[in-house]
Amino acid sequence: MQEPLNQLENTYFTLQGQIDMLSAACQTQDQRNALSTQYVQARTNYWACVNKAFHDDDPEVVTLTSQIAAANTALTGDVAQMGDITKVLGDITTVVTIGTQLATKVIGA
Amino acid sequence: MQKLRSSERRRRANLAAFALALAVLMVGGGCKTSVDAAAAATQLTSTASALTSYYTALDTLLTETDQLYQIQGAINTVTPYDAQTKALVADTKTEIETREKLAKALTELAQEYAKLSGSTASADAEKDAGNLESALAGLKQTKVSMSASSVNLMKDAVGAIVKAIQERKEREASAAIDKFTAALDSWFQSEVPYYNTIGADYARVTQSLAHTLVRKGQVNSSSFVNTALSPYGLTAQLTDPTLKASIDNVVAAQIDQKATALATAQAGASTSMEKALAEMASRIHLVATDKPMAIRTAPVTLADVENWISLVPQIAGTASPAAGSASSSSKSK
Repeated sequence: MQEPLNQLENTYFTLQGQIDMLSAACQTQDQRNALSTQYVQARTNYWACVNKAFHDDDPEVVTLTSQIAAANTALTGDVAQMGDITKVLGDITTVVTIGTQLATKVIGA
Repeated sequence: MQKLRSSERRRRANLAAFALALAVLMVGGGCKTSVDAAAAATQLTSTASALTSYYTALDTLLTETDQLYQIQGAINTVTPYDAQTKALVADTKTEIETREKLAKALTELAQEYAKLSGSTASADAEKDAGNLESALAGLKQTKVSMSASSVNLMKDAVGAIVKAIQERKEREASAAIDKFTAALDSWFQSEVPYYNTIGADYARVTQSLAHTLVRKGQVNSSSFVNTALSPYGLTAQLTDPTLKASIDNVVAAQIDQKATALATAQAGASTSMEKALAEMASRIHLVATDKPMAIRTAPVTLADVENWISLVPQIAGTASPAAGSASSSSKSK
């Protein structure tokens, strides 16, 4: 699989696999709303790129892929430890925002 | 409806033309041994049929995924099934159905070719060859980016077949058929990662939902321990909360194992399909280049593909598609 889709899959699969735990950790409705928004966007980013291609030699794609890989690593650590939910939601927002930027780079988007 | 019937008639005419053309090319001209040509036709039929079923199975997983998202949205308000994602899932499903139709057409022409092996060339072949060109229009609608070069190679190969028939250049056409199957193999290889992510997502969503339902106490885990009781005709009735919690832990572990197995089985089927297509392409190359074909049985890896295909209706439950499912065109196949 092309690495950009691989990373979008990582983000979405991480959230999909931990959504119950993340939902339970949210203490306010605003936090739940934020989690919901990011989950839906991560899933949309993933499906927007299934069976699509990226220009691997596009420097912006390379940079965003590198950034999302690092953000995914941080997210994996976050959900493993499940500490401060505010920080976790912040990291989720970061990785999903990068994912959205990456998804717009798909050929034909 | 009339347009559909007309389209179907045209499709069948194209299919017949292609089949006749193959007979002309591989039996009447390009191939030295009709036995090898007949064997190639049989192998092409088996492989294309398995490819069709493989796509049908992926299509089923996408139908199920659409329903799973609806269920997940109903169970957890944090995971609503938005219209945009639903449309994207439907789009992916349409893409898979396009491939399913292509594989089905290939299967049908291979079947026709198998029947015609050994017969003589038809005088209608040249006239019918013109119809084949219109069949290319279907492929033009395929929205593939990564595998565009393979798709173009297939189109060029079919175009070359038509030209060769019209000019009665059997050997050139035979080479074009060889190119077609080689391009088909490359095309499939380039798309395997996408097929596998569909399988992985299906496994991931079912896993997530199953865990949710177990955690919420909405799964009767008593049935899980019936394995120990069924030889004695007994049925479990778990009432002790501590015991039930312990059993739920085992159930959760089993869900994880099964989810991994689901994704692995689908990826394994993709690999086996890929090998079968490569094997078929190499054998057709032998026939096209007048070399003897040593093995005339269907590619062995097809059995693995068929095994997974047979499992999909069971694992997916093949429930009747819910109203408003992602499919918009499956019924028009």
